[in-house]
Amino acid sequence: MAYVATRGGERAIEQSERLFREEMGGFDRDRVEEVKKSLPYLIDRVMGEASLYDEDLAALALAQTGGELYEAVLLLRAWRTTQPRLQVAAPIEQDTLFTHRRISAAFKDIPGGQVLGPTLDYAHRILATDVLQGAPYAPEPVEPATNPSPAYQPSVSAWQAENDLIDPPTNDPTKGNDIPDLTREPLLFPSKRAHTLQSLARAETGGVLALGYAAMRGYGQAHPTVNELRLAEAEIAVTHPDGRQFSAGRVKVSQAEVVDKKGEKLGIGYAATFGWNEVKCIAAATLDLNSPGAEKGSATEEEFFLYHTEGVESSGFCIHFKLPHYVTFQSSLDAMRDAKAKKAGQSKSSDMEPAE
Amino acid sequence: MDDTLSVLARADAIQLKSFAETLIPDLGEIEVLQSQSGLVMLPMRDTAKGVAFHLGEVLMSEAHIRKGEVQGYGMRRGHDLEASMAMALVDLAMATDVRRADCKAFCNAQAEALQQADEDVLRRVEATRVNMETF
Repeated sequence: MAYVATRGGERAIEQSERLFREEMGGFDRDRVEEVKKSLPYLIDRVMGEASLYDEDLAALALAQTGGELYEAVLLLRAWRTTQPRLQVAAPIEQDTLFTHRRISAAFKDIPGGQVLGPTLDYAHRILATDVLQGAPYAPEPVEPATNPSPAYQPSVSAWQAENDLIDPPTNDPTKGNDIPDLTREPLLFPSKRAHTLQSLARAETGGVLALGYAAMRGYGQAHPTVNELRLAEAEIAVTHPDGRQFSAGRVKVSQAEVVDKKGEKLGIGYAATFGWNEVKCIAAATLDLNSPGAEKGSATEEEFFLYHTEGVESSGFCIHFKLPHYVTFQSSLDAMRDAKAKKAGQSKSSDMEPAE
Repeated sequence: MDDTLSVLARADAIQLKSFAETLIPDLGEIEVLQSQSGLVMLPMRDTAKGVAFHLGEVLMSEAHIRKGEVQGYGMRRGHDLEASMAMALVDLAMATDVRRADCKAFCNAQAEALQQADEDVLRRVEATRVNMETF
């Protein structure tokens, strides 16, 4: 790639930004609050892809960019680099998740039972056009049960391990700053598992879905069955200066396990992300399930899917193509004209009689 | 996990601030070591291979104060330096036996409210439990 220093266009650039922002209009704290309240699943998606959990900041980024998701995520990723890291919390363990939804497509009678939680899985998809005619939409209220659901649900895979269906995992004791961190070190291949899962956690939802869907349709080695899907709140376990550990609050998380027959046991793929985003987790877990032994350059090969689902890098690379490439393009044209001229010269000389 | 600190971290911000303000005269001179917002990296355990990986960072507010050799600390979600400072004041008051009974009563009331809110959520969640029938 070649670059050339150019001048001019300063006024056009300034006015173009003004045009974008003016067409979008002003915004204030009330707008941010409204975005936060009315679009929780979009907020979750942005927080997951930004790898930064704060509903106010995510709503602000959406308000500031008019909902241009790549710009919103970029703003948040850039902002986080200006902030100090106060601590690394203790790892979230599955059995400590305050669970709102936990289902399995693999087994009907899982320990703890199937709890649907908030979902549109079985809803009719009908656009509420009456709202546009002035009729406000008011949802039917939930009829709460007499007794609460257990806050913590047992693990489906642990139960499968007890039944010799999967190999139980051995807990890695790595913690704190020793856990590999993509925000401080490069992604190298073969990737460390901690890097793979961190990268999938912050991956762009559409990219993960596209590649995961390719694997589901047969361009992979394993067909996923959702072993367990969980929407929950996780405690942020931090440490007081005197050593006491406490929860400094909760964040919403999603987690998916998918399985497939692998020899005499089940192979298992896993993914999790900030916020409630089931599609991303199931697709990401499918990629994790398919990646062992995947063909180089295939959609399910780790290097391929990790590089191509990083939203900030991929969108940035895509949009850079609209920036001036005058020198590189001119060079291509020159090469093209040169080849054309040579070809014309060759055919002219072949038409001529040999010199005597 | 320390239950009192966990309750203070999720206590209602307005009530926490107004209660902590009443402790200031009784606490006397306090040294503020830190009052800032920043990020806490949150790891998670992978249930397939048992590996801990980073899910992402959470915006938090932190306050660290001292009275003599005794420390008070507050950390809460979001950018609210007053709330994290209020938490640190209550923590310091309890550690130095300043109006301990009032602090305990405040924490108990907050714990009860949080527990009630959790129970309300879980009763609504329970309404979505599937009772499978096979035929």
